[in-house]
Amino acid sequence: MSKPATDEILVRATDVTRHFASGGLLRRGRPVQAVSGVSLELRRAEAVGLVGESGSGKSTVGRLLLGLLRPTAGQVSFAGVDLNVASRPRLNRLRPRMQLIFQDPYSSLDPRRRVGGQIADGPMIHHLWRRQERGGQVAELLGQVGLAADYGQRYPAQFSGGQRQRLAIARALATKPEFLVADEPVSALDVSVQAQVLNLLADLRRDLGLALLFISHDLAAVRALCDRVVVMYLGRVMEEGPTRAVLAAPQHPYTSALVSALPSLDPARRRTRILLPGEPPSAAAPPSGCVFRTRCHHALPACAETVPALRPASGPGHLKACIRDDLQPTQTAIRSNGNA
Amino acid sequence: MTLARTPVVTLALFVGLALIAPLLGLPDPVRMDAAHRLAPPSWPHPLGLDELGRDELSRVIWGGRASLAVAFVASLIAGLIGTLIGIAGGFLRGFVEQALLRAVDVVLCFPPLLLALLVVTLLGPGARTLILVLSVLFIPGFARVAYASTLAVRSHGFVEAVQALGASRPRIMLRTILPNVLGPVLVQLSLAAASAIVLESGLSFLGLGVVPPTPSWGLAIGAARATMNQAPLLLLWPSLALTATILAMNALCDALRDAFEPQAAVPRTVARHLRDAVFGPKAAAPPADKLLDIRDLTIAIETPRGTVAPVRGVSLSVAAGETLAIVGESGSGKTLTGLSILGLLPEAAYIRAGSISFAGNDLRALDDASWRRLRGHDLAMVFQDPMSSLNPLHRVGAQVAEAIAAHGAPAGEARGRAVALLRQVGIPDAERRAKAFPHELSGGMRQRVMIATAIANHPRLMVADEPTASLDVTIQAQVLDLLASLKRDGDMALIFISHSLPVVAEIADRVVVMYAGEVVEEGPVSSVFAAPAHPYTAALLASAPGEDGAPPRAIGGIVPSPDAVIPGCRFAPRCTHYIERCETEPSVMTEVAPGRYSRCVRWAEL
Amino acid sequence: MSWFLRRLAISIGLVWIVATIVFLAIHLVPGDPAELLLSQGGVAPDPGAVADLRSQLGLDRPIGVQYADSMVRLLRGDLGSSLQDQSSVAQEIGRRLPRTLELIGAAMLIAVAAGVPAGTAAAMRRGSWWDRISGAVSGVALSVPVFVIGTVMVFVFAQRLHWVPAGGYVGFSQAPGLHLLLLAMPASAIAIGLAAVVFRMTRAAVLDVAAQDYVRTARAKGVAAGRILRHHVLRNALLPVVTIIALHLGGLLGGTVLVEYVFNWPGLSGLLVSAVVARDYPEVVGVVFTISVLFVALNFAVDVLFALLDPRVRAA
Repeated sequence: MSKPATDEILVRATDVTRHFASGGLLRRGRPVQAVSGVSLELRRAEAVGLVGESGSGKSTVGRLLLGLLRPTAGQVSFAGVDLNVASRPRLNRLRPRMQLIFQDPYSSLDPRRRVGGQIADGPMIHHLWRRQERGGQVAELLGQVGLAADYGQRYPAQFSGGQRQRLAIARALATKPEFLVADEPVSALDVSVQAQVLNLLADLRRDLGLALLFISHDLAAVRALCDRVVVMYLGRVMEEGPTRAVLAAPQHPYTSALVSALPSLDPARRRTRILLPGEPPSAAAPPSGCVFRTRCHHALPACAETVPALRPASGPGHLKACIRDDLQPTQTAIRSNGNA
Repeated sequence: MTLARTPVVTLALFVGLALIAPLLGLPDPVRMDAAHRLAPPSWPHPLGLDELGRDELSRVIWGGRASLAVAFVASLIAGLIGTLIGIAGGFLRGFVEQALLRAVDVVLCFPPLLLALLVVTLLGPGARTLILVLSVLFIPGFARVAYASTLAVRSHGFVEAVQALGASRPRIMLRTILPNVLGPVLVQLSLAAASAIVLESGLSFLGLGVVPPTPSWGLAIGAARATMNQAPLLLLWPSLALTATILAMNALCDALRDAFEPQAAVPRTVARHLRDAVFGPKAAAPPADKLLDIRDLTIAIETPRGTVAPVRGVSLSVAAGETLAIVGESGSGKTLTGLSILGLLPEAAYIRAGSISFAGNDLRALDDASWRRLRGHDLAMVFQDPMSSLNPLHRVGAQVAEAIAAHGAPAGEARGRAVALLRQVGIPDAERRAKAFPHELSGGMRQRVMIATAIANHPRLMVADEPTASLDVTIQAQVLDLLASLKRDGDMALIFISHSLPVVAEIADRVVVMYAGEVVEEGPVSSVFAAPAHPYTAALLASAPGEDGAPPRAIGGIVPSPDAVIPGCRFAPRCTHYIERCETEPSVMTEVAPGRYSRCVRWAEL
Repeated sequence: MSWFLRRLAISIGLVWIVATIVFLAIHLVPGDPAELLLSQGGVAPDPGAVADLRSQLGLDRPIGVQYADSMVRLLRGDLGSSLQDQSSVAQEIGRRLPRTLELIGAAMLIAVAAGVPAGTAAAMRRGSWWDRISGAVSGVALSVPVFVIGTVMVFVFAQRLHWVPAGGYVGFSQAPGLHLLLLAMPASAIAIGLAAVVFRMTRAAVLDVAAQDYVRTARAKGVAAGRILRHHVLRNALLPVVTIIALHLGGLLGGTVLVEYVFNWPGLSGLLVSAVVARDYPEVVGVVFTISVLFVALNFAVDVLFALLDPRVRAA
């Protein structure tokens, strides 16, 4: 599938928490706890999928890892540098090495500037290119993402959604980053176009050895692209581990529900679906203890007492945040090749 | 950007005249000739003389100079300072933002004229005082506009992208935010200039603005008031000049607004009843066993570039109790087809050809009263975005009850049934939730409310347009489960429009695949997905990451635009099974197996 | 409820800030205040007169004392005495304020009664000749300055046609008919511009709301056309109309100054102009303060109205 990840840890988040204040003048609302106690590691050339539904905090985690948001508590480091304590100039110098592409292809490009100029922004700000070589470098990047070299002269309005995402990828690659965060890069695209962009990301990762954090709600895309997957719910990690293992035999009730909720083309795979009751609780008032317990079919009174720590589940590198060990991993998941 | 030329030209004329006033060789506007005061028009005084014997035309033109100068200078100063403050507040947030907002609120507490009068009391009248006061008065307006625009621009990805690239904050504010904020600021500039002229002339009218003998329109009007009876025309000229200038500025403001916030230009459409009379349906006998029968439906839309047909020759049918899925990507025409069944096409769209019959009724020949009886009763629709589809100002229970009351139930009974329906669609604590407003509910809840509204009167056919597209996966599962149970309990036929093949596979009996406005394949869901008879269906199936781990296979190329005239198959340029025949021969739906149809000429080889 | 109290607290805070600015405005301007007030046309005033004025206005005391004294007196309702005739400013304001309020009220009533139905009709018949003509008329109506409208009205209706007196005032209790007649002209002068604004906003709002998804939902439910118009379109279009009226309140209050002057309507603003001309600082300050407080109060009322109409505001 991809070149094996090395052991060197490039990006590390340790027990990161991020709250957002709410309310305005004369009133303090309860803070929204977007992310609580999340720890995450990415090695060079590793692709990690960050999965969750709305309100899970996955987008916030992406921005915390890039230093675009400061954590309320906890630590984020990139290539050994603690992003919290780094000075602003130091942080700015690190920026070329870590980049971001977002979900909405229609707002990710400045409508008033030619795309070639926008692609060249990063290298020009950081003086990575000389003026003369700008044109050539932009053309090469456009080629890398599968677009014609002369597209650089056009304005964003002249491109389709899929093409704009490629342009956003080209812009992100211009500074030759080692770490790329892709926040729902294909959700706003048509199904047939999604494949183009996903394949492009897979190829680039393989060829350039990028560490990739792929944030998505689409388990199938994560399955195709990522070595490891991290499942989040209401700001906390529920389960993490090698993609195949987690999706084939989920160890956490939430992951099981998520996997079973996927509609399937194959009637043989349409199992009895696990339906979660009710709605996700508000992030301003998360349940005590395990945040998933209010919708979990297997909740025990003990689940309300302490926040379950991530502990080993079956299999290497596979962790779950659940106090129960007696749940059968429902064979409801996306199966890998060869299993009956 | 096309600016309306008239206001720009008029304004340019006035400004130009004012600028070149000294060069026009006009009589001295200040020189008095008391003996001939109030003289009627003559040569060389085409507008006569004013109450102090000064040439009226000259005073009008010179007056414009003073008024316009004060207005533009004040607006520009306020614009510069206000915009910078607004951008700083919107981008830097924190303390700067709070200070800005409070200061703006405070200055906006003073009606402009009053503050001007207060300052005039202290400093005395005069152009310079005026410019100072007006600048201070207009800064908050610019700050607010720049602030709001900055917040809006900030939410766009490209601002975050530039931050991620490591650009410095001043650079971002000046080179990324400012150009995107310029539009609303320009609009505000023209507004401010217009207000400035009004204020200056008002103050001069009271004798508290520009100091005589400098001419000003307001002064002239004030003076002419005293001599209204003897020389009414003296009132007319400066009033006309002033009004025309303000009118031109307002028109310029409107034109700028349209340029920067373009509303979709709604073209002039032919009156609907006339249209139907001309293109009316040839009534075809509807088949007895079909609840809904659509034949050769073609829908056209008037666009500024001409008429296009996003739906062409679509035929499909639904039997009672059956679930039919319409599958396609954006641009396939699936949504328009769904809307046409309920007669809810957007204003610029109309049915150009074909027929739609429902339970024996020819839907194209219905009048408004008949549509009202059908909609919400026999025919119902659930739309894609539940947030915008519910009125934000009314409680959800009332909106469900409205559907019941519209078909004859008294208000009390409607309310009771509404609560029962909310319970039926799985909303907990239904009695209390019925009193909630849409913004107090989550996306999944809102969609359930929409479904409750749709099933309220036990419709025979429900059209659901991407009902779960905006929902999370686990919530989608709940809603699909709800739809399935509603189908089982009632005898409702369902048309389910979606772009997601797996969802369709779970819920539908038959499927119709649409591409670029046409139906390309039709048949029972299981056999179509197991063995597609059209390359597009096959490509669509392959383009999603496989459930067995297979990587997705992309479809190269893009969808043809609706106005493209293509003689052959519309999918040909992107098709892996392309042969020359495909481009030249018109593609036709053929029955490839009992109940299965395909538009591909090569279906047998797939 | 807490929302309401918060807004009220903010409004009271704003009133206090307004008072501070207005009363200390004399110190915000460069130069010696007393000298400024007495200087006419660049001629330096007599030093003795300056000294007298300084002590009369209390400007010779330390600024902290002046400020505290102003605030205390304000709380007691004492706005000082006029420099012209030593009469109580507060009393004079109290006498004239109701007349200005009456003028504003009548103007808003006329403007809304004319603008909303006309705007709705124009939206329903978009593109028709009625729509285009009324659009052009409204464009002109909001471009003509209010004092021009007023002066022309006096010229046409009073001087030429002799339908109404040129101006003045008579109490309602004394002669109701004449009172209303005298009210009609100045109120209409203000109302013309405001009606044009309301017309445009109503038209735009109705068009915008009619294209919203929830109106489509109502049609899909089979709701009658009349109910859709009242319950969905107009109800939702009210919001931007209320907003635009709020935005124009400042201009409205400024307009009363000019209109009262032109029509000799003895309201608050009429007092203002003569006070400015005479540089009667206490009187000017008193009137500006009162009108500004009125403005804050009107804005607060509009906020409350808006919150009653839109439940999303109450939740914020």
